[in-house]
Amino acid sequence: MRAVPQKMRFFVSFVFFVVVSFAVSACGSGSEKKASTDTAAVAPAAGTTVAGTRIATPHAGPPGEWHMPAGDYANSRYSTLASITPANAANLRASWTFSTGVLRGHEGQPLVIDNTMYVITPYPNVAYAIDLAQPGQPLKWKFRPENSQQAIGRACCDVVNRGAAYADGKIFYNLLDGHTVAVDATSGRQVWRTRMGNLAKGETITMAPIVVKNRLIVGSSGGEMGVRGWIAALDIGTGREVWRAYNIGPDRDVKVGPKFKPFYAHDRGTDLGATTWPGDTWKTGGGTVWGWISYDPELNLIYHGTSNPGPWNSDQRKGDNKWTASILARDGDTGEMVWALQVTPHDLWDYDAVNENILVDLPIKGVTRKALVHFDRNGFAYTIDRATGEVILAAPYVPMNWSPGIDMQTARPRMVPEKMPAQGKKVLDICPSLEGGKNQQPAAFSPQTGLFYVPTNNLCMDFESHEVTYIAGTPFIGALAPEKGGPGGYRGEFMAWDATTGKKIWGIKEPYPVWGGALVTAGGVVFYGTLDGWFKAADARTGKVLWKFKVGSGVVGNPVTYTGPDGKQYVAIYAGLGGDMGILIAGDVAANLPYDVRERGSTLPDLARWTSWGGMLFVFSL
Amino acid sequence: MQLRSRAELSLLIFAVSVTSACGDESSAAQAPQAPTSTKKVEASPTAASRPAERDSLRLIAHDEMLPVGFPAGGSLMTLTNPYEGDKRAIGIGAQLYVAYNCIDCHGADGSGAMGPSLADGRWHFGGSAGAVFESIYQGRPDGMPQYGARISNDQIWMLTAYLRALPKKDLSTENFTGSTVERTGH
Repeated sequence: MRAVPQKMRFFVSFVFFVVVSFAVSACGSGSEKKASTDTAAVAPAAGTTVAGTRIATPHAGPPGEWHMPAGDYANSRYSTLASITPANAANLRASWTFSTGVLRGHEGQPLVIDNTMYVITPYPNVAYAIDLAQPGQPLKWKFRPENSQQAIGRACCDVVNRGAAYADGKIFYNLLDGHTVAVDATSGRQVWRTRMGNLAKGETITMAPIVVKNRLIVGSSGGEMGVRGWIAALDIGTGREVWRAYNIGPDRDVKVGPKFKPFYAHDRGTDLGATTWPGDTWKTGGGTVWGWISYDPELNLIYHGTSNPGPWNSDQRKGDNKWTASILARDGDTGEMVWALQVTPHDLWDYDAVNENILVDLPIKGVTRKALVHFDRNGFAYTIDRATGEVILAAPYVPMNWSPGIDMQTARPRMVPEKMPAQGKKVLDICPSLEGGKNQQPAAFSPQTGLFYVPTNNLCMDFESHEVTYIAGTPFIGALAPEKGGPGGYRGEFMAWDATTGKKIWGIKEPYPVWGGALVTAGGVVFYGTLDGWFKAADARTGKVLWKFKVGSGVVGNPVTYTGPDGKQYVAIYAGLGGDMGILIAGDVAANLPYDVRERGSTLPDLARWTSWGGMLFVFSL
Repeated sequence: MQLRSRAELSLLIFAVSVTSACGDESSAAQAPQAPTSTKKVEASPTAASRPAERDSLRLIAHDEMLPVGFPAGGSLMTLTNPYEGDKRAIGIGAQLYVAYNCIDCHGADGSGAMGPSLADGRWHFGGSAGAVFESIYQGRPDGMPQYGARISNDQIWMLTAYLRALPKKDLSTENFTGSTVERTGH
């Protein structure tokens, strides 16, 4: 499609829709045949878009490729590919599969560039380059980096990796042991390797980096280990660190200076990243950057969330604990903080704010707003002005009971005292649980429907904290918080959300937390996978499930779509149970570890009936 | 896994603060003494009761790993837990398991979390008292920290006594009808 001029695209699209409509009405098998002849139709960009709605940045690379973790800087996970539609999705079938050779939680997603697919595995973070142009999809190369085995025991929530970035002929990604590497996309040779984190202190890296202006943006993990969270920029040519901003500590370290203009008065002041903590507790206070990064080139702002404060026992860190559990906007060149919004001040429940920030222009009350939409662990969905940090609206999107709502004068949540943990007090039935209304599993946005597609959890928890001592390299938590299914008899829901009104439009109830991300296409189809191993296609307008396929393991990764060398539209997804849900909550462990057999977790007692550990890539087409 | 009293907590925190940066002055002041026991340590890798005969390093006995027919080279050192089955030591070990953050890696009652389960009767590096001591003392490659650098051998033996006294559940068969255990995600 790259070579086809714009006018031609409209024509091809039009012909395609007519042909498919005819074929579907005529007979089922015809649609499959016709779809295969289509050369990845691209839906007309105008006309079908909801008025006043725009994804802030274009899809990275050609429409039939996938160059960034979320497909674009805006984190929309929207593709203009339109061959697969609600009318023909029932004909989807597995095209090919690939085993990564690693049995751990396969979060993240592959990249597709120039008929090559790049796959990053969980620890030990092997990178594969798969040749899509050859029958049987042979490897072009395989890269096995040096990666300290100690990292396995320092990672809080399974040894996941959320994907790679691509630029300048190089694949960039993070290693669990705290290194960042650049690999030549053609040869698979390591170009540079930079040590970014101190593993001995419990710093690991799991997030997917992005490239902004020839710099790679990387952030740390380890919020459960008493680390001090940071985000940094590396020169993509050399791997040299250009800047690093901590998220807690004095202004100099967190890069708060003249550019800092938070929207709310209580966020203004000197050294708040240190003074909102008792003594020097900020030095072990968490605030890591293990989620997704967005970028708005027009405003030149990088957006990222920060993790929970440490320890979970909040009595040991009285105060707001800035800038943990916050959404931060930083200058795209220098990392200087421009605005900050602490969505959960003095977090009591392990509500990290690292979930993705989706950048879209939305029509709200008759005005087009430059919005940032964020589904927080704390259970509120925020529609925020991405230029200023003003909360436009915030509404619960999952069952929640710790707050009756947000005070719109301050953007601070109001509290329900009975749901506030304290040392020596066991609090029962807090919703959502510490996994949040949503966790790492990213949502998607379609300008055709104006809706967000959100994989969610419906869990609650009890919470009991105890005094904990900081011991470097060990967990700094100080609480037990057993989890249970939330109200309604389901533990997850895949939903469509209108961020202009703060309302759910439709939802698909799931027996387990929906721990995999979403993909939505111009064909009007939304894709997601489930913890019990179903990969599903649903109608983006109605939520009707059009097709599902039982993949080899639970899905905790994110679908991507691309155009193959044969012109067909493909959809790819990892199957590999794991992450917090697989290992810590379900208590199910990879069967190749004879020395580790666990009793079933009471939260998901039957998950292991439906799936077991794996490490596979599944690719589907019509 | 409740600490029985504030004083006991202070006691444990004091013990930890010796090797950590976050020592709490007030609780250290309250602490009468570090945990002790009526029994002495009988053997440990650093303080062997007898000097080595030929080499300065001595082989620690692990029957399952000894090569058959290999000529004996000097006497093997046997690690024996002075607190094996000692109820008081097991109780202190249970508190140390929380105080030294073992619980957050290996789960409540050793049920497994970030790190492997310790209550399944299965062991990656051996389940004898000596092997468990060694795992805690010297650390293990998948991220088990080297606690020998932080805490006393006496405390490691008490932790070992606690872990070996955990009720061993037969989890060999999973038919989804048995009991479940509460787990905390991260």
